[in-house]
Amino acid sequence: MKRNGMYFWGGAALFLAGALLMTQVIGNQYPFFACYVILQFIVLAVAWSILGGYAGYVNFGTSAFFGVGVYTAVFLFKATGVPLAVQIAAAAAVGALMGFALGLLTLRMQGIFFSIATIAATIIIETAITNWRYVGGASGIQLQRPAVMAPFDNYVEMLFFVQAVMVVLAVAISRYIQNSWIGRGLQALKDDELAAECTGVPTLRLKLTACVISGALMCAAGAPAAMYLQYADPASAFNLNYSVSALAMSLIGGTAHWAGPVIGAILLGVTQQLLTVTISSEVNVLVLGVMLVLFVVAAPEGIVGLIRKVRSKRNEGEG
Amino acid sequence: MKRRTLLGGTIAVAVLGLTTAAIGQQAPIKIGMSMAQTGGLAGGGKASLLGIEVWRDDVNARGGLLGRKVELVVYDDKSSASETPAIYSKLLDVDKVDILFAPYATVPTAPLMPLVKQRGMLLMGNFSFQVNSKVGHDMWFNNAPWGPADSWASSFLDLGQKAGGKTIALLAADQEFAQNLAKTAREVATKLGMQVVFDQAYPPSTVEFSGILRALKAAKPDIVYVASYPPDSAGILRAVNEIGIGDNVKLFGGGMVGLQFGTVMENLGSLLNGVVNYNTWLPEPQMYNDGTKAFFEAYTKRAVEAKVDPLGYYLAPYGYANGQMIEQAIKAVGSLDQKALAKYLREKTHKTIVGSITFAADGEWKETGVVQAQFRGIKDKNIEQFRSPGKQVILFPAKMKSGDLITPFEAARK
Repeated sequence: MKRNGMYFWGGAALFLAGALLMTQVIGNQYPFFACYVILQFIVLAVAWSILGGYAGYVNFGTSAFFGVGVYTAVFLFKATGVPLAVQIAAAAAVGALMGFALGLLTLRMQGIFFSIATIAATIIIETAITNWRYVGGASGIQLQRPAVMAPFDNYVEMLFFVQAVMVVLAVAISRYIQNSWIGRGLQALKDDELAAECTGVPTLRLKLTACVISGALMCAAGAPAAMYLQYADPASAFNLNYSVSALAMSLIGGTAHWAGPVIGAILLGVTQQLLTVTISSEVNVLVLGVMLVLFVVAAPEGIVGLIRKVRSKRNEGEG
Repeated sequence: MKRRTLLGGTIAVAVLGLTTAAIGQQAPIKIGMSMAQTGGLAGGGKASLLGIEVWRDDVNARGGLLGRKVELVVYDDKSSASETPAIYSKLLDVDKVDILFAPYATVPTAPLMPLVKQRGMLLMGNFSFQVNSKVGHDMWFNNAPWGPADSWASSFLDLGQKAGGKTIALLAADQEFAQNLAKTAREVATKLGMQVVFDQAYPPSTVEFSGILRALKAAKPDIVYVASYPPDSAGILRAVNEIGIGDNVKLFGGGMVGLQFGTVMENLGSLLNGVVNYNTWLPEPQMYNDGTKAFFEAYTKRAVEAKVDPLGYYLAPYGYANGQMIEQAIKAVGSLDQKALAKYLREKTHKTIVGSITFAADGEWKETGVVQAQFRGIKDKNIEQFRSPGKQVILFPAKMKSGDLITPFEAARK
């Protein structure tokens, strides 16, 4: 266990060092633009998996959290001009509150009803923002980035690194949850909530914790998007694509292990970025659709599940 | 190890081959853009792209520019603002394009404005609305004929006032373009001394409009200014057909998006009669310029194959015009220097298939080229009827006028 932890933190440090090195060495802007989007999806997928994967509550409201993150940043930037770190922290706080409210919803709703309620929440929040003129309303709002901070010489490079830090944070939290009593409790309530409750698992507390953490991470992932696009409009910020992608990435990667959403997000995110600049037509929508169907049919437990199956078969063979 | 050497050798040979091939002929001039080919804006995006492609083929047939062929590098932005920054970064940093065209519509273009300003790149706009007003990039030129921000509303309300209208009702979708139109309409109404008796925004997903229209009817306005998107434009006209709009309405329409698209017009048929709506190009004799007829002949032939709007009046000729403007600028300047090209575009008047274009300081047309036209004698289920003149009679601007307004609206509907 301890050795595992060392490997993990070593890997995380190496990843961050690599990201930082990239910003200092590569002069071409495109990798940062493309990688930023992929990193953003890793955070979203990992965050989704904390509630959707560990606890089995399928949340279609990723775009609601993401959009609120975007608009928290827009509001704070317009009102006070606070730096990016404060925007992200505030978005995380707002996301935690939203997550708490979502958690209370689970008291009454489970399964498909919970999922539908999360879609409804997205629509309600988007409509509210659409009618809030201060943050641009339906017309959207253009933002001018402030000066970039050292050691970066470009804002997108900085955003890329910030998002890389968030990936490490999100994955670390998800890994901690999976390996701790919280993860085991969530696992129990995923299998049978009533039975878990009867055996003394504090289901409500656990669900609230999962919702708060998941919500905070999703909102935090959305906050830098305002500065990435230098523009925000409700239709783009609350795009259902975020919900669908986060869900698909987690499912393709596998929801039983923290690495699942990471693998899924990298695979799907990279494919999306590649298809955008290669096939670049209706066909790329088809390719993604076919990929999803193939994974659901061939690997219902995701890539992580597939790897586990192959490994256990090999072990059996050896035994 | 051996396999690796072999692989390295193959790559080296391939790279060498590519380089020699490139040196063999002069590299083409690359024009980069993203264009909606999927998502909500795809219908317009594809038609616009076809217009640009017709220009590319024409210019290449004439021998290209600066002795080099013209090549388009196009990616799908999925109608989304979140895709365009990465795409344009790739166009600039990886594809190393020489000229940038903007994607179709406002939302995908808005995030690009700061980017092109920071990079000092010229950007030819493609039907976006007021994206440069806050950024203030001096190398932005929009092909859309909107002109000054308020000209759209003022042309329509002016027609209404001349027809004796004193009160106005505003009905606008809660989306970026429609809300911008509604905002300027309120300002123009105040300027003209008109009273706004009804002002309603509706959510973009609205499908049933009879309730809203009943409330509008009760306010008894003289002029109804509608700023809507294709699905709602159809919904509103269907509701008007069902419950009527009242006898005192003299003018109805203004900013209804969708009534410019062939398939939408075909579906609505006779419901269009009487509506006065904005347009960018119509087959009225006054709207033909040098090359317009040839363009539409080429476009119509290719539209079937490309599965885009068979009429293509709204966007396609303006895509072609964007090409014409950059062609004239490159020929006059004799290089691809962005600053010199921008200077030329800013200072000169450009002859295109959609008329002469002169830019104001903000990169929008100095004078509006938007026409307000009234639908007349439209029959159901016939797309070909829209190709003949007289079906959409131009009322504004005066120099393009091809007929007089029929009022009240209820009489014009018959």
